[in-house]
Amino acid sequence: MTTEKKEPMFELRGITKSYPGVVALDAVDFVVSPNEIIGLVGENGAGKSTLMKILIGLVQPDAGTLTLRGRSVTLKDPADAMRYGIGMVFQDGSLVPNLSIMENLFLCHEIGFRKFGFLSRRAMRETARGMLERVMVSEDQDTRIAEVTPAVRQMVEIARLLWLSRLYGQANPILILDEPTTVLTEGERDTLFAILQSIKKEASIILISHRLQEVVENSDRIVILKDGRNVTEMPASGAQITDIEQQMVGHAFTADRYLEDEQIVPDDEEKVLEVQGLAKRGAFEPISFFVRKGEIVSLVGLVGSGKEEVCRCVNGLAKADAGTVILGGKKLTPGSPSDAVASGQGHIPIDRRSEGLALGMTVAENVNLLVLARLRSGLLVSPARERNNATQWIEECRIKTPSAGTLCANLSGGNQQKTVIAKWLSSQVKLLVLDHPTRGVDVGAKDDIYRLVRKLARQGIGMLVMCDTLEEDLGLGNRMLVMKDGRLVGELDCPPKRKPSPKDVIGLIV
Amino acid sequence: MDSLGPGNSSSASEPGRARARRLRTPAILYAIALLVVLAFLFALGNRNFLSAYNLNTIASYAAILLVVGLGQMCTILVGGIDLSVGGLMSFISVLFVVTVKVIGFWAFPLCLVTGALVGYINGNILTRIKIPSFIATLGTGGILMSLALLVSPLPVVAPAALYGVLDIVNGSFLRVGNLLVLTLLIFVVYYILLRFTVSGKSIFYVGSNITMSWMSGIDITRTRNLAHILSSVGASLAAIFLSCGQYGGDPSLGKVYILNSIAAVVVGGTALTGGTGGPVNTLIGALVLAVMENGMNVVGVNAYFQQSILGAVIIVSVFLTFDRTKVSMIK
Repeated sequence: MTTEKKEPMFELRGITKSYPGVVALDAVDFVVSPNEIIGLVGENGAGKSTLMKILIGLVQPDAGTLTLRGRSVTLKDPADAMRYGIGMVFQDGSLVPNLSIMENLFLCHEIGFRKFGFLSRRAMRETARGMLERVMVSEDQDTRIAEVTPAVRQMVEIARLLWLSRLYGQANPILILDEPTTVLTEGERDTLFAILQSIKKEASIILISHRLQEVVENSDRIVILKDGRNVTEMPASGAQITDIEQQMVGHAFTADRYLEDEQIVPDDEEKVLEVQGLAKRGAFEPISFFVRKGEIVSLVGLVGSGKEEVCRCVNGLAKADAGTVILGGKKLTPGSPSDAVASGQGHIPIDRRSEGLALGMTVAENVNLLVLARLRSGLLVSPARERNNATQWIEECRIKTPSAGTLCANLSGGNQQKTVIAKWLSSQVKLLVLDHPTRGVDVGAKDDIYRLVRKLARQGIGMLVMCDTLEEDLGLGNRMLVMKDGRLVGELDCPPKRKPSPKDVIGLIV
Repeated sequence: MDSLGPGNSSSASEPGRARARRLRTPAILYAIALLVVLAFLFALGNRNFLSAYNLNTIASYAAILLVVGLGQMCTILVGGIDLSVGGLMSFISVLFVVTVKVIGFWAFPLCLVTGALVGYINGNILTRIKIPSFIATLGTGGILMSLALLVSPLPVVAPAALYGVLDIVNGSFLRVGNLLVLTLLIFVVYYILLRFTVSGKSIFYVGSNITMSWMSGIDITRTRNLAHILSSVGASLAAIFLSCGQYGGDPSLGKVYILNSIAAVVVGGTALTGGTGGPVNTLIGALVLAVMENGMNVVGVNAYFQQSILGAVIIVSVFLTFDRTKVSMIK
C-alpha cells in the first residue's frame, strides 16, 4: 500500500461504555487508517485504556459500532481481535518468562509447524529468525525471556503480533503500544521508534504515551481524549506540546471541587515527617523533604520518576540504601512497615483490594484492625467496644454499608476506599500516605474523599498524596513536590485560590 | 454428644451475634440440619444408635477429632496447612507413654511443651526459611513419624500402676467423662483465643490478606508461628487423650488424623484459602465425621462401601457450609 489518500481501515463510532457510577467512554469516535501512527493522549482516567480494551475485544462497548475493513464486526475476545489482526503490547508485558524467545513468539500457535505429528523446530527457528530481524532483535532465540531486557521483550511482543496477523492472513495489522517507552533507555527508545517507522509500511500503530514530546515527534496524527470524550485531533506535524497539554487538561476548575476554602495553613513549627537524604539505587537519588502537621504535600511525577519508590521507603515497605525517615521525632527502622505503623504512619494503597482490605472480612473487622488492642477490656477484646468503634467510624467516614457486619467484598469501590481510610483514622495516625486515593472511585465518593482529606488536615494529620490527575494534586495540596527521573526537580506552593495552573507544572514533569 | 450439644448451640449464638448478618450463620444451620438428618437416619437403621453407650462412643471419637481439628484449623485459617499432625501425634503418643512411666504426671506438660516446640519449628520453617507450610510440615511430619518408630517401633503398654495418672483423662466428673470436659475446655480456650484476643484475631487478618496485614503492621511472622504452635499443641493434646484412652502408645496412631483433621475443618465450612471459618465450624465438622463413621458401623454398611459414602458426605457438607461468596475463584 502507498501513502495516497487513505481509506479508514478501522472505524469506531459512538462508542459508549459505562461502569457502575462512571461513564468511561461517552460516544467516542476513533478512526484508524492504514500505515499511520496515531498518538493517543489524555490524562489518567480519560478513557484511553477502556478504548483500547474495546479495540482488542477485552471489553464490550454498551453502544457504538465497529467497522473493520468496510465490514461491521464484533470482537468477542482478544483472540478474536487477533484473528482480525489487532493486538496490543501491554505495559507489563504478556510473555511467559520461563520460555525462550522463540517459544514465546509462537506460543499456542505452534500447530503450523507440525511435521509428521511433531513440531519442527527447524522450521520454527527459520521463521523466528526472519521475524526477529524485522524488529532488530539480535539475541539468541533460545534465551529465556526472563533473561532479556524489557526492550527486547517489547520487540518480541511486536514480532509476535506481526507474525500472528500474517498467520491469520491480515494485511496491515493494528498494533497498540501502551506506554512503551517507560521501561526503555534513551537509546532503546530511539531504536523502538525507528522500528515503528519501518513497520508502519505494513501496519497501523496506536501509540499511547504520557511523554508528549515523543508522541509529537513520532506519530502522524494525535487524538486527545478527556473524561471519556473526544476533545480534538490534529496532525502531529506542527503540533505544539503546550497546545496539547491545554486540551488534555481542559476546562477550568468547576467551582471549588477540592474544597480549597477549607485548606488550612499548616503550623510551621511542627514537622510530622522529615525525610533526609533518602536514596535507593536504581529508583531515586538522595531526596530530602518534610511534611508539616496538617499539611497536604502532593508528590507528582511520571511513572518511573521514582515517586512511588520514595513512598514505599517512607512506609517501610521497601528498604532505602541511605538516608533516614523521621516520623514525629522518631527515626524509623528501614524496611519495617510495623515500625512505621506503630509510630503513627498510615498508608492508603493504590490497590485497595489486594493491599488495603481483607475483602472476605466484615467492614467492622476491617475498620477495627489497627485498634484491637485499644478495644480490649481486661485481656480480651470486647465485642461491644468493637461494635461501637466500627459504628462510629462508619458514620464519620460516611461508609454506605447495609451494616457493620457486611463483607467488604460487597461494597462499592468508593465505600471500600472509605473503609480503608476509616481504618487508619481510628488508629490516630500522624502521617497518612495516600496513593491515588480516588482511583476507580465514582464521582460522589470522590467528593466524600476530598472532604475527608480536608477534615484530616484540620485534625493535624500530615499527608503525602499522589493523585490520579494533576488537577487533583494541585487542588488538594498545600505544597507540591515534583519528581523527574529519580530527582526532586521542583517545589511549588499551592495556596488556596492562587494555585499554579496544571500548565505550569507539566513543563516540570515532562 | 449430649455433653457437647448444648455447649455448641450456646456458644454458636452468643459470640456469633456480632456477625449474625453474615452468611455464615445459615451455613452452620445447614450443617446442623445435616447432622440431625444423619442421626435420624442412623437411628432408623438401628435403635441402639441413640443409646447412651453409643452416643458416648461418638462423643469420644468426635472429641479427639475436634481437638486435633481445632489446631489444624488455626493453620488453615492463617492460609496454610499442617500435614505434620499425624507424625506428631504418633511421636507424642509413644513419648507420652514412655515418659509417663518415669516421671508420671509430668509427662503431660513435657509432651505439650514438646508439641509447642514442634509447632514453633514448623512456623519458623515457613516464616524464616520461607518454605510453604504444605512442604515444611510434610517434611517435619515424616521426621516425627520416624522419630516415633525410633522411640518405640512397637506399641507400648502403660503399666497398670499408672492408670491413676491416666485417669486425668479417663476418669469422669459428675458422670460425664473427663475427656469430654477437657475437650470442651480446650474448645472454649481456642474459641476465646481466636475471637477475643488480638493475636488470635490477627490469624484471620493474615489468612484473609497477608499483604494487607503486613502493610498494616501486623507481625505476620509471629502470627503464623502462633498458628502452627496452636496446631501442634492441639495434635499433642489429641495424642495424649488417645494414648490415655487406650492405655498405651502407638507409633502409627497419628496417620489417619492427617486427612481426618483437614476433613473435619473443611466439612465445618472453614475455607482452605484462609481467613474464614472458626472453631464452631470445626466443632460441627468433627461431629459430622464422627456420626458418619460410627453410624455406618452401627447400621452395618459394608466396610468397603463406607469410604465412598464418607467422601460423598464431605463433598455435600462442604457444599452446604462453605460460603463461596467470599472467595472469588475456586481453585
